Amino acid sequence: MSAPARGIETLELAEMPSLSRLYVAAARDAARKLVKKGTARGVLPAARHRVAGVRPDLGKMTEYQSLLGETKRDIAPAGYVHTLAFPAAMSVMGREDFPLPLLGMVHLENRVEYRLPVFYTDLLEVTAWAEGLAGHRAGTRVDLVVEVRHAGNDDVAWRGVSTYLAKGVYLPGLDRPGVNGAREEFRPPLPTALWRLSSETGREYAAVSGDVNPIHLSSISARALGMRRSIAHGMYTASRALAEVGPQKGDAFVWEVKFEAPVFLPARVCVNITDSGDSEGAWERSDFVGWGASSGRRHFVGRVERL
Amino acid sequence: MSTLRKAVVVGGNRIPFARANGAYAMTSNLDMLTAALDGLVARFGLQDERLGEVAGGAVLKHSRDFNLTREAVLGSALSPETPAYDLQQACATGLEAILGLSDKIKLGRIDSAIAGGVDSASDAPIVVSEGLRHAVLELNRAKTLQQKLKAVSKLRPKDVTPVAPGTNEPRTGLSMGEHQALTTAQWNISREAQDELALASHRNLAEAYDRGFFDDLVTPYRGVTRDGNMRADTSLEKLASLRTVFGRQLGDRATMTAGNSTPLTDGASAVLLSSEDWAESHDLPILADIVDGEAAAVDFVHGKDGLLMAPVFAVARLLGRLGLTFEDIDYFEIHEAFAGTVLCHLAAWEDEEFCRERLGLDGALGKVDRAKLNVNGSSLAAGHPFAATGGRIVATLAKQLHERGTVDGRPARGLVSVCAAGGLGVAAVLEAR
Repeated sequence: MSAPARGIETLELAEMPSLSRLYVAAARDAARKLVKKGTARGVLPAARHRVAGVRPDLGKMTEYQSLLGETKRDIAPAGYVHTLAFPAAMSVMGREDFPLPLLGMVHLENRVEYRLPVFYTDLLEVTAWAEGLAGHRAGTRVDLVVEVRHAGNDDVAWRGVSTYLAKGVYLPGLDRPGVNGAREEFRPPLPTALWRLSSETGREYAAVSGDVNPIHLSSISARALGMRRSIAHGMYTASRALAEVGPQKGDAFVWEVKFEAPVFLPARVCVNITDSGDSEGAWERSDFVGWGASSGRRHFVGRVERL
Repeated sequence: MSTLRKAVVVGGNRIPFARANGAYAMTSNLDMLTAALDGLVARFGLQDERLGEVAGGAVLKHSRDFNLTREAVLGSALSPETPAYDLQQACATGLEAILGLSDKIKLGRIDSAIAGGVDSASDAPIVVSEGLRHAVLELNRAKTLQQKLKAVSKLRPKDVTPVAPGTNEPRTGLSMGEHQALTTAQWNISREAQDELALASHRNLAEAYDRGFFDDLVTPYRGVTRDGNMRADTSLEKLASLRTVFGRQLGDRATMTAGNSTPLTDGASAVLLSSEDWAESHDLPILADIVDGEAAAVDFVHGKDGLLMAPVFAVARLLGRLGLTFEDIDYFEIHEAFAGTVLCHLAAWEDEEFCRERLGLDGALGKVDRAKLNVNGSSLAAGHPFAATGGRIVATLAKQLHERGTVDGRPARGLVSVCAAGGLGVAAVLEAR
């Protein structure tokens, strides 16, 4: 493991925190956080949260593989490792001294490096922290970093960086960048796949991932948070695109995605996956993009690349 | 190859094809395949004959039909001591059955065989939801009352909704028509060209019926005497009036209609194959030799090639192996899954760049003489009961070749190609006897 930076405390958690409890706590604290919004400073907690003795759950992994269309291999899909390890990052976001409100945060981007295969039988250590607090034209962004190692091995097996936006939250001491140029117009390519997402999709992904954020669960709970209907988890769309890139990606790859227009459920999403090879013709990367079949609005764009 | 003996087509039989939910709505795959076998048995006097093997299959198949072909043999007039097996290669099932059995005949492992295929889009298996299926399976495994209650408690109201089979590709979620619409647009195939091909298919099929060509290829069934989808009186105007049904997100570039696409169809076919000696000793005719065949597959999942483009590769490899060009082919039987499919194949074979880069040829494979294409109609007119199409085509072509006899002093020669789901394609060459 990389040596902890000076002055950074490592908090050992006895077990992986439960996301539903974190959401309940977040809701309870929402009012207080709103008050804090006025007083919070643009400083992230100088702490890493570490959970040892984490083991994938074969039953949960199987449900994940069924839902996302992953072949049921014994190696954990990169997106399943995310669902397993991300609660450690959520616990960082739930800290008293975390300067942004947890509820209502928007997932902007996600980048994963899957370096060493994780089998469901492996014993893992998960470390999470926040970094990269920065102004955004619509609020404040922050990166939640999660590293997964095999127990007793210093090499990082899986590393995820999830970038979130606290919309409308502006912290003192952070620049507020303006809108730099108009966003280029999206012209949908020909689709290579069509996803028919039912209104169940949010609840189904919540069940396998533990991410029970109310905006994904039902129209009613979503409306309570200002959404007109429930929306699909960004990570559902990214994980499904990853699954559909197929076996050519091998066991070591980079997987990154930017989330744009939310996918209101139910939905028909057109997807294009384009493969590129190296000079030998071997697979090098797949670029993927998803857009609304009727709206033509881009929902997500990303790539999977050989590591 | 020169040391192998020949495999020949003796004849074929099918029931007229009917549009789904029509005349055969209440007959099963087993009923129809048995009817096709019995017609063939009656035509060639095979009652109580023990054949080398019968192979066939269905694409839309219920799990209870695990031994469909064997059950059809047991229900037919063939000797119950005739072995049988099922196979399935989507729409190429029928052609692959013919090629596999021909190889066994060529090797001398069997002397006679029937290749069959059947599909019912009307009597299709309905699948229960995954939730219900898992609950029932868990209930089955449960030993105690508590475990049983737990299994049942997992059921949700939505789980009770049954799921009808579709033609969606499992890996893309796009229907076959949607896939073809993308390929049709990529190859810039016009609506008019597709409608013209559909019109030719209906006219050619109707003319073949009118001159009695199908009298010894088709046996009436359930009051149906001709293919129910055939429209002898259709016209370009009528076809042009139909609205587009696939690729509508392409806007002006949407060209595919119900008129230039095949409908869901019910039907069955069977082809009698044998060695030359077996046919002669049974005093049966020999229509054609099964010369050779080739299967191909394309990487369609991320759009490298269109879903139904594999026959382009299969045909190029097969002709290359046999040292033949399009000039050496007198009849082209290219399965009309959609008019666009056939026209995309023709366009690819005429495209120099595609043939050089993708088929590894020096230049374009060539131009198919349209006067030699699907001369007795094809799937756009006859309909397309998936696994039955290969048998329909091979029996039709074998008879046509036999009637033609020789061309420039050599046996008349025909090329068959069939595209299939999963990016598959199978091609075969037959020669007249």
